[in-house]
Amino acid sequence: MSRALHPIGVLVAAAALIGATSLLGNDYYLRIVFMMCVYYLCAAGMNVLVGYAGQKSLGQAGLFAAGAYAVALLTTQTEMNPWLALIAAAVISGVCGVLIALPSLRVKGPYLAMVTLAFGIVVEKLVGEWTEVFGGAQGIYGIKPLTWSGQPLSSEQWVWFGIALCALTHLLLRNLLQGRFGRALLSLQADEIASSSVGVRVYRAKVIAFVVAAVTCGIAGALVAQQNQYINSDFITFNLSIFILLLVLFGGAGSQYGPLVGTVILTIIDAALARWPSAQHFLYGFMLLFALYVMPGGVVGLFAKWFGRRSEAPAAARPTIAPMRMAPAGGGELLVVQGVTKTYGGVKPAQDVSFRLQRGHIHALIGPNGAGKSTMINMLTGVVQPSAGSIRFLDREIIGRPAHAICCLGMGRTFQNLRLFADLSVLDNVMLGRHSRMANGFFASLVALPGAQREEALTRARAMQLLDFVDLAHLAHQPAGSLPYGLQRRVELARALATDPQLLLLDEPAAGLNPQETAELGQLLVRIGKCGVSILMVEHHMDLVMSVSDHVIVLDYGIKIAEGRPAEVQCNPRVIEAYLGADEPEAVAA
Amino acid sequence: MAEALLQAIISGLAVGGAYALVALGFSITFTTTKTLNFSHGEFVSAGAFIGMSALFLVLGLPVSSTTFGDALPGAGAQLLALVAAMGIMGLLGWALYVVGVRPFAGRPGMAWVMSTLGFGVILQSVGLAIWGPKPVVVPGPVGDSVIRVLGVGVRPQELLTLAVTVVIMIGFDRVMNRTMVGKAMRAVAANGNVASLMGINTNAIMIGAFVVSSALAGLSGFLLAPIAQASLFMGLTVGLKGFSGAMIGGLNNPRGCVIGGFVLGVFESLVNLWQAQWREVAVFALVILVLAFRPTGLFGRTMVEKV
Repeated sequence: MSRALHPIGVLVAAAALIGATSLLGNDYYLRIVFMMCVYYLCAAGMNVLVGYAGQKSLGQAGLFAAGAYAVALLTTQTEMNPWLALIAAAVISGVCGVLIALPSLRVKGPYLAMVTLAFGIVVEKLVGEWTEVFGGAQGIYGIKPLTWSGQPLSSEQWVWFGIALCALTHLLLRNLLQGRFGRALLSLQADEIASSSVGVRVYRAKVIAFVVAAVTCGIAGALVAQQNQYINSDFITFNLSIFILLLVLFGGAGSQYGPLVGTVILTIIDAALARWPSAQHFLYGFMLLFALYVMPGGVVGLFAKWFGRRSEAPAAARPTIAPMRMAPAGGGELLVVQGVTKTYGGVKPAQDVSFRLQRGHIHALIGPNGAGKSTMINMLTGVVQPSAGSIRFLDREIIGRPAHAICCLGMGRTFQNLRLFADLSVLDNVMLGRHSRMANGFFASLVALPGAQREEALTRARAMQLLDFVDLAHLAHQPAGSLPYGLQRRVELARALATDPQLLLLDEPAAGLNPQETAELGQLLVRIGKCGVSILMVEHHMDLVMSVSDHVIVLDYGIKIAEGRPAEVQCNPRVIEAYLGADEPEAVAA
Repeated sequence: MAEALLQAIISGLAVGGAYALVALGFSITFTTTKTLNFSHGEFVSAGAFIGMSALFLVLGLPVSSTTFGDALPGAGAQLLALVAAMGIMGLLGWALYVVGVRPFAGRPGMAWVMSTLGFGVILQSVGLAIWGPKPVVVPGPVGDSVIRVLGVGVRPQELLTLAVTVVIMIGFDRVMNRTMVGKAMRAVAANGNVASLMGINTNAIMIGAFVVSSALAGLSGFLLAPIAQASLFMGLTVGLKGFSGAMIGGLNNPRGCVIGGFVLGVFESLVNLWQAQWREVAVFALVILVLAFRPTGLFGRTMVEKV
């Protein structure tokens, strides 16, 4: 019943706050509490974007404006009900959120931050200079406030409504972030390529994060406009964007209570310094400059260090799940590669390569350095697009499909240079592998439907089972990045297995392992093969390749020079030549 | 009509020159340190105000005055102001690198976005405390009398801006491609670790990148001040448009950045001729459009991430 404990706690806290504010009776203090609620709404949504998805937005003032001007225009130009206008404002700012998220399809990191900054400035200019519509510095008067049984809300009622809205936002976002979506966002912050390789739709997740931040920010703007019954262009400044960002960073990005702490502290400072705007301004600059240096985790991070990490709750009774049978049995062709070619200018890592992979077999792809093996794996998984040819997986053409879609079809992979989500726990890494197999959607997660909770529990149990399978169950709650190299390789393998692959692609799984670990890996691969998963591995350890694989394909300079049983390939003269070089006379003859 | 068009193109080229200087500044720090100065715009404003205060000092006026009155600084004073603007901005760039960039560069999370932004906010609030928010009319070094070229009235300051920008660009291009310092900078840009193994002092190169980039911002502000009045808020849009120019041209190609800056200046000037209030929107729409088709800019190399 601990699941119900948190919401009850939040309700009690909100009720206590509402009770306390009704004793305040001072309009100035009420105003400060109201602004805390407004800023908390902004910060809570911004935390999803900055703390979880890792996208820096420097244009939140633009979204604040979208909400504020939406209610302003809707209630003054039309006879719309103020409550309806508030909802419409949320929708309109959500649409604007999609608009800012669009460039994120093409650009990343600092580029994107600059684009969001530009968005904020454009909106600022628009509301300031397009006076016919937005009224500029004159502003828009006569915005209809929210009403309760026919009367406009009083100052106290505004505060109560704000507190209730904040509590609701906190609970909804908590539902969202503790499960499938929170994990997916954290993963794309860590590594987008790995994230899409486990089936996360990276772009869609980013858009959702932008929209969540936009909607909360728009509602905050609408509340301010409706409470003041007035809005002008002075509200919408670059400083507001910075302030909203600072709320999150100062409190602690990516933590549950960071935005709350940041909001309370900064709103109080803001009110105390309101008489000296340039001091206020200076302080914000100072905080931006040094806050991340002194406390990278914000205020909450500082305290977490003092109190130590909250110990993870031990896994509750596991629901019974199907035993390890990962893929359907049987034979036949799983993957058909035909005439695949890839050119980077003059470099040709693949020239007209064709091969077939059988269901239930362990295949190995070998060749000297630079033979084009990793490029082949990347083409199969959709990370790199081939220049020509056809790749059919389960009788479906997969060239041109995005990486996450190929993962969903049943192809899992590991990477040559480990791509784990280092800050997430081992268990979370493996649970992320289940992302594409989970059925709980955005809204089910948001309101924590029982189905979504059950799905989460099932996923956790399945992930623990997989960790048992690779002997890592005892390390489930450690951060993946803290494990020794050999164990990290096994975590990545478990994560790939969690995607329910029919074909598992391993890019140098034994790289960096000692002989003992390599032998263990060989046994593990055979066990995986027995579970019905077919394997294609790129590997340099010939002992491993020859002992576990059923079929070997040899590439050299992008050309397939041999394939067949391990023993046949070993005596193939072309293979020997590629690896050891030929004797002088033969080379001349050739 | 043709005259108005020509006039718009010339003033667009002049402002575009200032954008190109800013764009080049972004390109220099991005290629060497993989970071950008998000307060580059504030640096442009700061350059304008430092140049202005140097002029005040030479004329015997207090630094915090906000008008020149009838005083007209001579050529020597202007030259001194130029040196002061570029020199002090260079030092500020050094300070920015040490305080705001070096602790975070190369680490995930882009904390340097926040710290450089904060540095700019501090600069701006110091400026506000000294001069207040009002813009200041600054006399230009080449006088304010309009000269006529091809039947079009042109302000000499615009021609000066254009000329200085072109000279700087050509000089920079030569240094980058013909000298050992340029080779060292390009080596650090390509791979800092390998460059330091080859005996290149990467730390010094990175500091140098920030010094040069900030000095260019100062120059840009100094040149713009007589055209558009010195204001503590002028920098934000100049910085943004400079960055937009860099994005259009390709952040990792200095020549592309310069071209991008000029293109943007002319484009903005032409839109201004048609519908002034859509100027900013049109500029950023153009950027989004270019990025949609070529995410690394028109002349940028695509970066391939090794998997």
